[in-house]
Amino acid sequence: MPLSPEEINEIRRVLGREPTVEELTMFEAQWSEHCSYKSSKILLRLLPAESRYVVVGPGRDAPAVKLFKDFVVVFKIESHNHPSAVDPYDGAATGIGGIVRDILTLGAKPVALLDMLYMGEPVDPHANWLIRGIVKGISDYGNRIGVPTVAGDTWFDASFNTQPLVNVACVGVAPLNNIVLGSPGPGDLIVIMGNATGKDGLLGSSFASKPLAEDTDKEIGAVQVGDPLTEKLLIDSLQILVSKGLVKYIKDLGGGGLTTAISETCADHGLGAVIELDKMHTRQKLVPLELLVSESQERMLIVVEPGRLREVEEVLTSYDMPYSVIGYFTENGLIRIFYKGAKVAEVPAKELARPRAVRRASHPPAEALKGLKPVYSLPQEPSYIESLVRLLSSPNIASKRWVYEQYDHEVGVRSVIKPGLGDAAVLRLLDGSLRGFAVKGDANPRYTSIDPFHGAANSVAECFRNLVAVGSKPIAIVDELNAGNPEKPDHFWYFEMMLKGVAWMAEELGLPVVGGKVSFYNEDYRGRQVKPTTTIVGVGRVQDVSKAMTMDLKEEGSAIAVVGVTYPELGGTEYLYRLFGLEEGEIPRPRPSSELRNAMFILKAVGMKMLNAVHDVGVGGLAVALAEMAILGNMGIEVSVDRIYARGVQRIDEILFSETQARYVVEVKSARVEEFKKLARRLGVHISIIGNVLDKPVFTISKGSKYILSADLSLLRDSYNSLERVIEGGV
Amino acid sequence: MKFPGTNCDEDVRHVLVDVFGLEAEIVWYKEFAVKQWDAVILPGGFSYGDWLRAGAIAARTHAVEELAEARYLGIPLLGICNGFQILVEVGLLPGALLYNDSGRFVCRWIRTVVERPRGPWLALARDGQELDMPIAHAEGRYYIDEESYNSLLLNAPVLRYLNGFNPNGSVHDIAGVGTEDGVVFGLMPHPERASEELLAPKMFSPGGKVIFESISYSLKRGW
Repeated sequence: MPLSPEEINEIRRVLGREPTVEELTMFEAQWSEHCSYKSSKILLRLLPAESRYVVVGPGRDAPAVKLFKDFVVVFKIESHNHPSAVDPYDGAATGIGGIVRDILTLGAKPVALLDMLYMGEPVDPHANWLIRGIVKGISDYGNRIGVPTVAGDTWFDASFNTQPLVNVACVGVAPLNNIVLGSPGPGDLIVIMGNATGKDGLLGSSFASKPLAEDTDKEIGAVQVGDPLTEKLLIDSLQILVSKGLVKYIKDLGGGGLTTAISETCADHGLGAVIELDKMHTRQKLVPLELLVSESQERMLIVVEPGRLREVEEVLTSYDMPYSVIGYFTENGLIRIFYKGAKVAEVPAKELARPRAVRRASHPPAEALKGLKPVYSLPQEPSYIESLVRLLSSPNIASKRWVYEQYDHEVGVRSVIKPGLGDAAVLRLLDGSLRGFAVKGDANPRYTSIDPFHGAANSVAECFRNLVAVGSKPIAIVDELNAGNPEKPDHFWYFEMMLKGVAWMAEELGLPVVGGKVSFYNEDYRGRQVKPTTTIVGVGRVQDVSKAMTMDLKEEGSAIAVVGVTYPELGGTEYLYRLFGLEEGEIPRPRPSSELRNAMFILKAVGMKMLNAVHDVGVGGLAVALAEMAILGNMGIEVSVDRIYARGVQRIDEILFSETQARYVVEVKSARVEEFKKLARRLGVHISIIGNVLDKPVFTISKGSKYILSADLSLLRDSYNSLERVIEGGV
Repeated sequence: MKFPGTNCDEDVRHVLVDVFGLEAEIVWYKEFAVKQWDAVILPGGFSYGDWLRAGAIAARTHAVEELAEARYLGIPLLGICNGFQILVEVGLLPGALLYNDSGRFVCRWIRTVVERPRGPWLALARDGQELDMPIAHAEGRYYIDEESYNSLLLNAPVLRYLNGFNPNGSVHDIAGVGTEDGVVFGLMPHPERASEELLAPKMFSPGGKVIFESISYSLKRGW
């Protein structure tokens, strides 16, 4: 967004004079919503960020959390929504590049990528083009840099037909003693390593801080182009520099380019800097203004003591890594920029890096009432088998194999639970022990668009459950809030409510929100916001990866149990949408105390090896969870709805398809059922043993002595595997 | 041997050193000298970003010219995925690797079967032994003309995708090929990702082990 007249006056006040063109451009980049968080930072303080495991909290390029006493996990989320709407391939690819560099800034080794994609309907030709481009962009970039893409989340909705949400996350690990926590000091050298600077991505952050124009093709100059080979060399050479202790501080050149990297580093450490722009290595001839705000990818700023420069240069040269020494830090807090000996800008770092926060007006639109409306007068229930087949073949539920098979999810030899089989990915540390971590990303755009507060809380809870289901102990989350135009009170209200929902649930579940990102202006050219969406990525601790759980059924004769209470909560469900075309009603209620109690029960049962399979109940409800377990295990089931512990239900579809929170389906080893029941009683958890695993491929649900749903497993599998047909046949 | 863009080097070293107890080092291509080594592995990845064509640029480096010397000296050479693409590109193995017929990168576990195992990399494999491994590539469709197939591969060790597991449209279901003596071998699947029980999904077993057990056995016996 261009600077407002008030902001220009503010700049005049800060400088005490008229700004130069270069200075104005620096302020425009740094004061953009994308870089400065000016509309969100007051509210962001609501998020709980502390716990005894947090080593580096929010504020740096990436946070660090103790996974074990001697090992940290560094993880962060990022959005590339605007670039991906214009150029899906490069937009998504450079999202991966940027998030990986954030992880590198603490000296951690990137070991896992996640992609959370909220895209249009595959049958829409434009949306289909975006879907293919986004997935291919992530595939080509992620695969080439040798970091496996192990998990994610995918949602298809007409609201995202022209403006998709592309959220990506990266996880790095490092021994606690190896992370780079130093501070730059006066006299230290500023070195830019990596790609040569060019004209791509000029003021990209500013572009991402306003609504999409109708003729987005003209914005192509604001989209960056990725070079994964250089990124891979950055990863490799930084690993060497860090292991040799040659760098004091690392910063990504991301949104806002050089301006943001310099101003934030200076402001965070009370320093100033002298920069000679003509020393930068460039791809083409650039004027000072372009050098200051180019967002060319694969560039990083490293801080080197003058005495270690020679050693740094040796490493970079052996890796054919271009670099330039462009300046040094000073004590006086002023950023002074020179070009061929002439001063082009002189700006106080603190004022540049931290514009005044704006408290935006916030007001619910009339539409928000639909989230308060109880669901009470539904048409007659369709046949259960038809409902289940329609749900399994919904792109939001069907297997995402078409997506994850395009990603190398094995490289690094850490992936113990791979995409498609578990509720979260599980990776080992590969340090000679069996220790590891689980990671998952979650959102439900429908929930947050109907009821942003409870919807966002449910995103946190869903992520928590997914981490628990594989047998991990959740330790921290990061959040990405994708919202509309902050200048419109009825858009900003969604942002405010989503943020408060995350803050509440994170606090209740004892999960620190250690970092995150805000993306505003996600609206189409007519000014309609896309479904506001809260994406949560969480990490869990795994003591022994060989005990991690998958969801596929494994053993004939073992018992199937539901953990948790089922309520009539059809509002906002996939069932209500797919079968009746409704997107309204009270969405499933967040239930933090049940979440905590049931999670502890699951973790105990997993630890005592009572279970063969665990699956959280999410989109599609119980029937879908059961079907997924049967399809993936290639085993049949025989269950009865009479035994499902439920409250207040009047219809069978409420039992089968409600998306009530805090529930799991588990496969209990036949010899351990009594122990399982006893443990549940001891912990005060409601469980229902509802049936058995069969050795033949039939899926049956009965009520009383009658089958109410009976299907051949191959029919369900065919529906579940329909996404490839939908996407490939969609054009 | 590591090129710019190689990304399975640490994985291969892990398996050689931590799983099979061999001595192994990652050698940056500029520092590679063939005579220092008892055996050489070209791991997978995207050397030079796959620009131009997978393996094409790496095949024209000085380091790869050294491999011709290795062939002459009888030093065992294994190319995995991108390493296989490089060996084919430089002519140490016959055929070519083209874009998958789906047009997409694909990563999944598959089953293969070994035929005529011999040489240091397959010394312990049985003829007809089934090996499960994951593949991860965009340019893995093996192609060879019928005449060359009949003259070069009918007597050489070959790895084939089992019926129903050909992921890319390779002719004759070929997943890997060797020289007639089996000293040089290349394959698209990743044996290093299939050498530990922990990493094999249910229904699959870690079929890559036999390759590393074979080289370990062969080197200890004095290849």
